[in-house]
Amino acid sequence: MNVQKAYYEIVRDVLALNIGEGTLPKGTRLYVAAVADRLSVSRSPVKRALELLSDEGVVTRDGARGYVVGQTVEDDTTRPNLHLLDLHLPGNETAALVAPSWEMIVQKVDQELMNAIPFGIYQISESGICDHFKVSRTVTREVLARLHDRGTIAKDRASHWIAGPLSARMLDDLHDIRQIVEPAALDRAAPALDLGMVAAMRQRAASALTAEETLTEDMLDRLETDLHVTCLSPLRNLRLAQVVRNAQLSFVVNRLFATYIARHDETAMLLEHRLVLDHLAIRDGTGAAMALRHHLDADHIRTRDRLKVLAVFGDPAIAPYLTRLV
Amino acid sequence: MQRPLRVIGRSELLPLPIRQKAAEELDFPVEFELIDGIEGLQRVVTRPESFDVYLQWHTVDLIWTARCIQAIDLARLKTGPEIMAAARSQSGVSKVIDTVFDKLFVQPDGTLARTPSDRLSMLPLVHGVDSFGYLAALRDGLAPNEAATWGWMLDPRWAGQVGLIGDPVLGIIEGALAVEASRSLSFEDIGNLSVEEVDEVIDTLIHKKKIGHFKGVWSQAEDAVRLIQRGGVVLQTIFSPAAAKLRGLGVPIVISTPAEGCRGWHSDLCISAATGGETLDAAYDFLNWCQDGWAGACFARQGYYATFPDRIRGHLHPDEWDYWYGGIRAARPLPDPEGRICVPTGHRREGGSHRERMSRARVWNTFMDEHTHVVRRWRDFMEA
Repeated sequence: MNVQKAYYEIVRDVLALNIGEGTLPKGTRLYVAAVADRLSVSRSPVKRALELLSDEGVVTRDGARGYVVGQTVEDDTTRPNLHLLDLHLPGNETAALVAPSWEMIVQKVDQELMNAIPFGIYQISESGICDHFKVSRTVTREVLARLHDRGTIAKDRASHWIAGPLSARMLDDLHDIRQIVEPAALDRAAPALDLGMVAAMRQRAASALTAEETLTEDMLDRLETDLHVTCLSPLRNLRLAQVVRNAQLSFVVNRLFATYIARHDETAMLLEHRLVLDHLAIRDGTGAAMALRHHLDADHIRTRDRLKVLAVFGDPAIAPYLTRLV
Repeated sequence: MQRPLRVIGRSELLPLPIRQKAAEELDFPVEFELIDGIEGLQRVVTRPESFDVYLQWHTVDLIWTARCIQAIDLARLKTGPEIMAAARSQSGVSKVIDTVFDKLFVQPDGTLARTPSDRLSMLPLVHGVDSFGYLAALRDGLAPNEAATWGWMLDPRWAGQVGLIGDPVLGIIEGALAVEASRSLSFEDIGNLSVEEVDEVIDTLIHKKKIGHFKGVWSQAEDAVRLIQRGGVVLQTIFSPAAAKLRGLGVPIVISTPAEGCRGWHSDLCISAATGGETLDAAYDFLNWCQDGWAGACFARQGYYATFPDRIRGHLHPDEWDYWYGGIRAARPLPDPEGRICVPTGHRREGGSHRERMSRARVWNTFMDEHTHVVRRWRDFMEA
């Protein structure tokens, strides 16, 4: 995920790539509005990208009639329907050219905050985010608004954005919600799950159980994603999916615990995961939901204990746009 | 040449005579390292390979969660049968140090509980109760029947002359006891305060600090001694060894027996998860040596109680036994662990006998569920 690149640069790169590969053939007439529509982006980055490409000699300006691919403008250049061209776009083809920049930054900032709040209360600097991600105030405000919606950040009395602390109470509250919604969501998702995929997940949990060495953070991430994200992916109710996602905070604590503590033992977690997957493998949604509820309860107790251990540590490394308050 | 057994713990728990005697009597080299403060605990949870035996202090659940210690095989302990009997009898020592047994046995699912099993999380070594101490002269201005209470810690009568312990785990408990007594509040579980209750206690302490109520905060025993000896403090949290030292210096210190009860504590031996082979054998030998009686007698002379008092009785002079365990007036001047006189003739240990004193444990040192919040707010207090 490259969040450092400006929007117009991404558009420029995509156009240059397609011109280079011939998917945008020489002589194609490019109107700003048409390109913006084809790439599902706004006009100003397209305008700026075309200006850049024109400076580089990749496209040529044709007065009021937009730009033409190549260095010469021929009279017979037609205006093709850009939607008929099979362009090479980054990411998946159905989505927009790039996710709106705030979306990537939201993920990033959210992650940074989650890694910090078990240790204290942090203030988030708006200008710090602008500088760090090289984005405008508008984008930064959008990012902060999204984080506020998620409940990650709040405004203090002095109107500063703050996050944390992660208290045992907060874990309790979220567990309370999660214990109600996540098993129900899994039960709903179960009928549509791909059984081959479930078998692969079960295999991963089973081999982690027999592995000699301690689970790596990446492996832990993978196993958690398998059960708590991928298994819920067939959910059609996106609101429910959102509620579930917002309640999955214990994950952060477990990951931090794995980062700091060399000898963390995940046997119980693996056994519980495997049991849920066993139920899913025979399309027993109800059984899976019950096994998941048991796992969430047990995991909650472990998470609370682990939060206490994290309290022993002082300052974590934090992003430059954060300031520790207490 | 065998690698030395590395033993780490707080300075109060590894007094010099114990270190010397262990080195002398055990047939393998022992290296002691004194670690006070949070850095020690950080090291224990992150680098179990850096020690073999740890004298834990109110952190067993935490270090067990981090799996930096290994389960202790009951069959390899000389006191194994006594521990099992105590756990089953639900009386005797298991009543005295109730809370120790709550986290003593490793269960099949890896959690700690009271249900006996053949594996222990820790070997209970010593225990006691603490409260605040005050200069005997402080009583002069009081009605003869005024009972000591934790409220004294915040009492305006001694504004500017009160000392406090700097450790957040102990400090929040003492702060809560003091706030409860002085503001006629009552906390649901004083050993496990909620976020709001922690805020209530800390806000009160901060206010008191700002109006100059506290004279000083100490983190090491020597500082506690110094604050009373020449720091102008007349009343403060104090540990038994510091009180003994003050008495030895001729400072008439009284350990209070507050109406609301005392703060109980225990310290226990744990074996590192990384220890194995002949070093593990040495660790068991050290554990057994510690329980043998000599070490317990040494601890008694600084006011600490052993898990199995009968084992140490033979290592104490009857006068010492009567004073430290019996709560009887000292028949003669009595020595501290290093042989210096710390108890004058006729002195009676405040609070009485072992059983009487331990029965006053109202709350035990522990990391509260909201520990992160406690530490954060305690820092506010320290920096206020």
